[in-house]
Amino acid sequence: MEDIAKRFAAYLAHRMPQATNIEVSDVSRIHGGASRETFRLNAAWDEGGHRVVRPLILRRDPVASLIETERDLEYNAYRAFHPTGLPVPEPLYLETDLKWLDRPFFVMEQIVGCAAGSPFTPDPYGPMAQKLGKQFWTHLGHIAAADPDKLGLKMDPVAPDECWSRELDKWEKVIDEDELCPQPVARAAIRWLRRNPPPPAQKISVVHGDYRSGNFLFNPEGEIKAILDWEMCHLGDPLEDLCWAADPLWGFDNKELPGGMLPRAESLRLWQEASGLKIDPKALRWWEIFNSLKGLAIWISAGKEYQSGSNRDPILALSSIYPTDVHNRVLAKELAALSKEARA
Amino acid sequence: MKPDADVMLAGFAGTMLMDIAPQLGGEYTLGSVGIISMSMLMVAQEVDRAADVRYQENAQMRALFAEAAKLIDDKNLAGRLEAASRTKDESLRVRALDSSNDALKKLLIELQAVAEVSKAPWAAGLEGKIWDFLLGSVEARRFVFPSLG
Repeated sequence: MEDIAKRFAAYLAHRMPQATNIEVSDVSRIHGGASRETFRLNAAWDEGGHRVVRPLILRRDPVASLIETERDLEYNAYRAFHPTGLPVPEPLYLETDLKWLDRPFFVMEQIVGCAAGSPFTPDPYGPMAQKLGKQFWTHLGHIAAADPDKLGLKMDPVAPDECWSRELDKWEKVIDEDELCPQPVARAAIRWLRRNPPPPAQKISVVHGDYRSGNFLFNPEGEIKAILDWEMCHLGDPLEDLCWAADPLWGFDNKELPGGMLPRAESLRLWQEASGLKIDPKALRWWEIFNSLKGLAIWISAGKEYQSGSNRDPILALSSIYPTDVHNRVLAKELAALSKEARA
Repeated sequence: MKPDADVMLAGFAGTMLMDIAPQLGGEYTLGSVGIISMSMLMVAQEVDRAADVRYQENAQMRALFAEAAKLIDDKNLAGRLEAASRTKDESLRVRALDSSNDALKKLLIELQAVAEVSKAPWAAGLEGKIWDFLLGSVEARRFVFPSLG
């Protein structure tokens, strides 16, 4: 940590030539998503006759990660949404020159005095569940409603009738490349998804890609202060985010209380109200099944990373055990029912 | 080996969580100890059942293949199903059982893809049996997420 503090102080000196007496202290690694190394630290410097103290977060590319993502996507998402009032940390620097910290990284504001709930507890938010739930689904609706062009967020374009196939192709490829054993439930899901395509997206939105319980910070008053982990953001069908957030995995296996916050019907109603979009039940079912498959692909990939030895972070091993089990059960149950329905 | 492997793993996880973790500093280290302990509690669930789950699945898939081989029209697939139905598990080591489980599941995927689009009279029944097998399989492999109170 001492080495990081020293090297990061040198980086800050480079970025802030007007600053003097730069000190970096209290560097500690934290769990902040399994795709980046995340460090919390305090930076202090003299500027204009004052001592400035700023708590910061440093996100550095790992050697290998849960899922390969582009760090500039996440940084640019923070940059695009920060001025809109959506609670996201202020992004400060994006650095790709390896000379500073060996790997690319970005720096953002540290949100202090807040916590993240664990999706792997039955009641992660206690008495604040309802208050947080209202904000959680409303913020997601606002992300869906935002105009990507006006945000100035440059991402690969996609046509409304191609959102589903692009995402399905992407995650099928991950399973093809990373599966350590045959996956009959995932393969059945892929075939079902291809045979039953959803209607085209109502609009093209920014899709966060990992919007869920555990990926936001809230203060003791129950206010969401930061929506984090935009590593997988892309343009696409806003129902993708809705169904990922409502996936049973993030509600401790309880589909009727997504994210452990509000009842499902109320959650979907809040999202519709905030997004101005209407949920098509056929599309919703497709994206629900897709998201459980996407989850499986991520957990399969995590298992491959761990087994191959390219990354021995224990979170990758745990990710490939329990979430795989949940998503296999969720998908098997849904697909068996759909198979019966189709034969009836 | 006594104590049993699952008893030891669960015991070690408890020691790590209750006795060792509180002595540690650093959020990342604490988090990692928690994740390792959780994983150990799940591996403890797996060790005792691992061979049985695979052995039972392999037997069920072989029985399913023997039945399917008599039904389906594709002679090539029918031949491979029949041959697979006659295989046996020669060892109860988990890796050996996994190896035959993988080979059988590859064939199951192929069979399911055929059954689910077939309009033949046998198709609905066979598809239903495949789903019954898969539902049983995911349930047998289910992990109970450890409760920490």
